[in-house]
Amino acid sequence: MRSMDVLVIGGGPAGVAAAAEMARSGLKVTLCEQGGALGGAIHRQPGNPARAVPVPRAQSARWHKLSALLAKTDAEVLTFHAFIGLDATGAVLVEDRRQGRLLVLRVRALVLAVGGLERVVPRPGWHLPGVVTVGGLQVMMKVTGRGPAGSVLLAGSGPLLLAVAAQMTALGAPPLAILERSRQVLSPLRAAPLLLWPRYLAEAAGYMRRLMQAGVPWRLGSSVQTIRPTDDGRLETVIVDGAGAVSRIVVDKVALHDGLRSNSDGLPPAAHATDRNPHVVLAGDCREALGGVAAIADGRNAAQQVIARLTGAPPMSSASRRIVDTERRAQQALANIFDFGIPDLLKLPDETILCRCEGRTVGALRQMLATDDQPSPREIKLNGRIGMGSCQGRFCVEWAGAMLAQQTCSAQPAGAEFIGNRWPSRPVAIRSLLGPAVADAISSIPPNESD
Amino acid sequence: MPHEISPVSDRANSVVIVGAGIVGMSAAYFLSQAGWRVTVLDQGAPASGATGAADGAVSVASKKAGPLMTLAVAGAQFYQDLCDAGVLDGEFVRRLTYVVATEPNELPVLDRHATQLREAGVTLRALSKAERDQALGSLAPTTRAAIEVQGDGHAIGYKVVERFRRIGGFAVKRNVAVQGLWRQAGKVAGVETEQGIERADAVLVAAGRGSAAFLDVADVIRPRKGQLIITERGEGIVPRFPGPLMSCRYLISKGSQPGGDAPAGRSFGLVIDPLQTGQFLIGGTREDSADGSQTDIEAVRRLLQEAVELVPALARLRVLRVFAGIRAATRDGLPIVGRLSAHENVWIATGFEGDGICLGPLMGRVSQQLISGAHVNVDISALNPARFRAEAAA
Repeated sequence: MRSMDVLVIGGGPAGVAAAAEMARSGLKVTLCEQGGALGGAIHRQPGNPARAVPVPRAQSARWHKLSALLAKTDAEVLTFHAFIGLDATGAVLVEDRRQGRLLVLRVRALVLAVGGLERVVPRPGWHLPGVVTVGGLQVMMKVTGRGPAGSVLLAGSGPLLLAVAAQMTALGAPPLAILERSRQVLSPLRAAPLLLWPRYLAEAAGYMRRLMQAGVPWRLGSSVQTIRPTDDGRLETVIVDGAGAVSRIVVDKVALHDGLRSNSDGLPPAAHATDRNPHVVLAGDCREALGGVAAIADGRNAAQQVIARLTGAPPMSSASRRIVDTERRAQQALANIFDFGIPDLLKLPDETILCRCEGRTVGALRQMLATDDQPSPREIKLNGRIGMGSCQGRFCVEWAGAMLAQQTCSAQPAGAEFIGNRWPSRPVAIRSLLGPAVADAISSIPPNESD
Repeated sequence: MPHEISPVSDRANSVVIVGAGIVGMSAAYFLSQAGWRVTVLDQGAPASGATGAADGAVSVASKKAGPLMTLAVAGAQFYQDLCDAGVLDGEFVRRLTYVVATEPNELPVLDRHATQLREAGVTLRALSKAERDQALGSLAPTTRAAIEVQGDGHAIGYKVVERFRRIGGFAVKRNVAVQGLWRQAGKVAGVETEQGIERADAVLVAAGRGSAAFLDVADVIRPRKGQLIITERGEGIVPRFPGPLMSCRYLISKGSQPGGDAPAGRSFGLVIDPLQTGQFLIGGTREDSADGSQTDIEAVRRLLQEAVELVPALARLRVLRVFAGIRAATRDGLPIVGRLSAHENVWIATGFEGDGICLGPLMGRVSQQLISGAHVNVDISALNPARFRAEAAA
């Protein structure tokens, strides 16, 4: 372990862009990636290079350029290193998963680029084995180079459904159908703003061409309402189409996706350095889910912010910031044709699982909320065990907050109101915490006083 | 909550309780049962202070001999009574506590503590090596001695508070910061809050650390931080044991037994508590700090190290959460319960440090008896708030 100025967490596009930019400016940078290779979810590299999943050419070109840029710097890359937290003394805690030890690091700046979260709106049966996320399915295909076995239904909303269906088709495993909840996708009036981003339209057109050739139906206005296990280990889905007609179809796998969102709950908040703490910056989809192009620009933004702080360099150029703004507008245009809204969760049946880690149900939370004396998010957490599981609440607090807001007709509380931002930000092995090499890894750089 | 605001005189006597922790909420329940019109005010939410950050030990085994140990016996029995009466059924379970000695110098500490517990009427037995192996199969072979203490129990503070809130029949107002007592015609007639005056015939201050502002002697209540660890579920990985394991160092850290060479300001006392969820709670520190939101790796590592020394199988689990809370400790280590001598209608119940879960319901009951002018059936003379005043005068 060498001395370092900046620790970057996350080897996706935002983290790599940030690390490369800061290293080029002369800062000593270490980049931690929890997996075995850089790339993040979007640029996940195949386990076997001979079996790569087709991805848009512009996308792979972006990654090649970015990773080449990083390779030219002296930034240190640590794979299988996962972020655990920032403790009360300002020490950054990182678990070295291969050695089973903990690094306790003192750095001048910490850039968190851990990626966004894939949303799946709860519905009866969404927790069953065989139900996966569309993004998870895509990562699996990128790693193995194989499509999923058996019959698969893709459902939810968003452009990712099209992309993944096209990749499945290319791998010879087309889905039975794509159920797109939004009816507005092809509405000329709503889709018109997207003409400003021909890149997205061209990408979508490519996917749709492939899907049409393979005869994969894209059913607008349709959604999976309920999933039930069958006696022979398959899944029966109850589908409601745009006209309200109900149909049933039995499949091997259901992949759900209701958009992406930021992932800052449970992370230390962005903050200027103090006499104890490093300067903390969030970058990329974990800060604001705007996709791969924005993530690179946002990583550069974060880098420039840190460089200015640590070296007193002149004000940053605004080019990266403009890219993020443009991508935000693109995402808004996409959100306008897709349906990322939260449906009325209060209408879900009692037995619907809300928190998968602790098996908490919609009914249990509804009962907690059915009182004139409205509980606070913290009380819901403690008494309802929402946000208490091993996912640290990442997946359930959005829905618990939505139910609270829907019940009380008030604004939705932030996830942090339930779960705060305590470390460990993920469960960590006691063995690692007690690992013998900890003391050796302590770097002794004091925080910069010039802040 | 649709709550009709009527002139006080038209209705039953009213009381405002400052603090919705376990003491305030217990008192609210008993006062409401006794016919009082009760409003509980909290600057945050119910159980958002020490109550919500506590372990769930209703423990006599850990107490210092004297008034605290005697009150803890009564506190545990009161939990049982409330369970039997259907008030807290399901929220309290009886269980055994094990106090263990691993170092030679802990053996006399264990002996002395066992004697003191017996003198307080607690049933316990020393475990032979064979009995230890049978009851506590996961203990490290280096354990030198252990006693099994009966009469302890487990109750989760925030769940007790939630039960009282649900069955209560009183109003709880969240996010109401109380600024001080409100006087009318020379007499306390309620409290002042940021949102206005809350009128009442009587005031009970049960605000933990926030109670200090109501005392007329400074520096009586001090923040004492504690850090706790929760593991994932241990089924099939760590053999279960029937109750918490407490090291003799815990007794020393808590001040229940003299000794120890911990640096001033921070001490570590190990408790490994098997939770009903199958998880383990590992605690805890005692630190002279008011920074309740923060935990540090040094404390966590030290606690885990001691825990794994005692129960090696714990090393195979993962840590799920680490959290901290601030206990309201007093200068002499005893709680403060009684009427404030400067006022005829203001009472206080605070300063329980780490014993609020054990004593909370009992002290809620005592507060109700004090405020109602009823007979108080436990001896609380040692908890009198006036003791600090006398000390200051002397």
